[in-house]
Amino acid sequence: MSNSYYEFFCPVKVIAGKAALEHIPYELTGLAARRPMIITDKGVRKAGLLEPVITACEESGLEIVAIYDDVPPDSSTTVVRDITAIYRSEKCDSIIAVGGGSSIDTAKAVNILVSEGGDDISKYVGAGVLKRPLKPFFVVPTTAGTGSEVTSVAVIADTGKSVKLPFTSSFLLPNAAIIDPRMTVTLPPHITAATAMDAMTHATEAFTCMAKNPLSDAYATAAIRKISQSLLTVMDNPDDTEGRLELAQASTMAGIAFSNSMVGLVHALGHATGALCHLPHGLCMSLYLPYVLEYNLESIREPLSDLLLYLDGADAYAVTPANRRAEASITAIRRLRDALYKTCELPRTLKETGKVREDQLDAIASLALDDGSIIFNPKEVSLDDARAVLRRAWA
Amino acid sequence: MHTMFARRMKPTALQARRVYVKVMFQVMGRALQAISEVDETVQTEARNLPEGLLFEMMVMPDGPRLIVEHTGDGQLHYHGASAPRPVDLSIQFKHIAHAFLVLSFQEKTAVAFANDRMLVNGDISLAVRMTRILNRLEAFILPRLIATRAVKEYPRSLHLPEKVLSAARIYLKVANQFFETVKAS
Repeated sequence: MSNSYYEFFCPVKVIAGKAALEHIPYELTGLAARRPMIITDKGVRKAGLLEPVITACEESGLEIVAIYDDVPPDSSTTVVRDITAIYRSEKCDSIIAVGGGSSIDTAKAVNILVSEGGDDISKYVGAGVLKRPLKPFFVVPTTAGTGSEVTSVAVIADTGKSVKLPFTSSFLLPNAAIIDPRMTVTLPPHITAATAMDAMTHATEAFTCMAKNPLSDAYATAAIRKISQSLLTVMDNPDDTEGRLELAQASTMAGIAFSNSMVGLVHALGHATGALCHLPHGLCMSLYLPYVLEYNLESIREPLSDLLLYLDGADAYAVTPANRRAEASITAIRRLRDALYKTCELPRTLKETGKVREDQLDAIASLALDDGSIIFNPKEVSLDDARAVLRRAWA
Repeated sequence: MHTMFARRMKPTALQARRVYVKVMFQVMGRALQAISEVDETVQTEARNLPEGLLFEMMVMPDGPRLIVEHTGDGQLHYHGASAPRPVDLSIQFKHIAHAFLVLSFQEKTAVAFANDRMLVNGDISLAVRMTRILNRLEAFILPRLIATRAVKEYPRSLHLPEKVLSAARIYLKVANQFFETVKAS
């Protein structure tokens, strides 16, 4: 599976653990930034997650000059333009994104405009357009799943033209990702479960798809171990800050892994399902993961066998015969999903979601076939193959 | 490092590699046009590309290239190495050495993507579609032993008689086009 050539890149400073937020002022002034703007959403503000960030800055004499708290779940070019205008009128010099994937992607796009100039973000669409570093940019993730704090991609919807614009550049990466357990401790159970399974899928696909490499493997396996050991504990004790920190770190590690080795069919199907049936991304990941692993099984038997150690621990790995370990890995993932279904009804099949109709499966299959992730799936996928996986995932 | 490496390779070998890539692009361009005239799978795949889409495969920074246009109804037209207008979708090899690895079937197209040997400029979903067309093309025109090295999975539905017949027709069409090009110049 492993290729004889690979690339690996992650220049993001990771600031993680107890009182991590309090490092923001020092880190910002270290980049000569004095007038930061916060980009976030209403949910984060309502959950009271901004206060510790603002207090941490003010205590060190660093004033948050502007706060934009109205990022929608699917960010758009208009939102990016509005925030850019505020950044400029308030003479900000840096950005702190506090939130999940949407706030982080929006902040990345805003950073392009405030650094490069202009009001039209679509001018910067595609890969390799940016040629120099942007303004100081920090990310404080509030969900432990997307890994967007360590990816060099942003996707923004152009609502006028009904298209999604992708932006890819290593300059989109933040200068620092601040992982503080206070930021994820209030996450409701079903979001905790779905986002952790999102990270689990990032790591599993990173470890089993075509661009896997020794460095991303190390991050992927460590992330899987953390999620396997901590997810159910946190579901039972939501206030377990240590467990929360483990999940948050796992999410960042899985993000580092998959942004350097890409993902496969689970993501292709998930993106298509999200677009057509408006299901949350993490939920789709959790749903499709075992079915895709079964489909890919003979192409990924070796790496999937190795994952049993991280999914189920040393004892289970030792007592499972080598030729059964790949199947046992899938069983371990299914077991985790069953437990999550019990605690928060995280759907395991498309039928259980109640939001997908059986007659939509063909449309999902066709759309998934055109998704970029499918290139990196270890096994070729035809339209019929995709349909077959979907039928198995149905009920 | 690069110049030292280049110096160690004989200039004629480097020259031959460049010529090989250039000729392979020509063969592929002509074959893409030909296969779109005979193969239904490719036609179905190509029909979903926007009409008038200009697709380019090229070697950075300004190396050999092939330009193909979807003229509508699943038909592809080979434009040679120059585009009549700015291209809509471009797959760019970072170096001639990487193009050579892929075009001499030492590295599968999907692996080359995974290895960051090339970049996509344009709509990724269209690039995914073009990659499937290129895979189909390679499965058709290459002997099976080489084709299995070039594509992730040899098509299960590609049986020998169909393949031989179609390959013969594609070769014939490619030969005809070469002949016409020579006549015209």
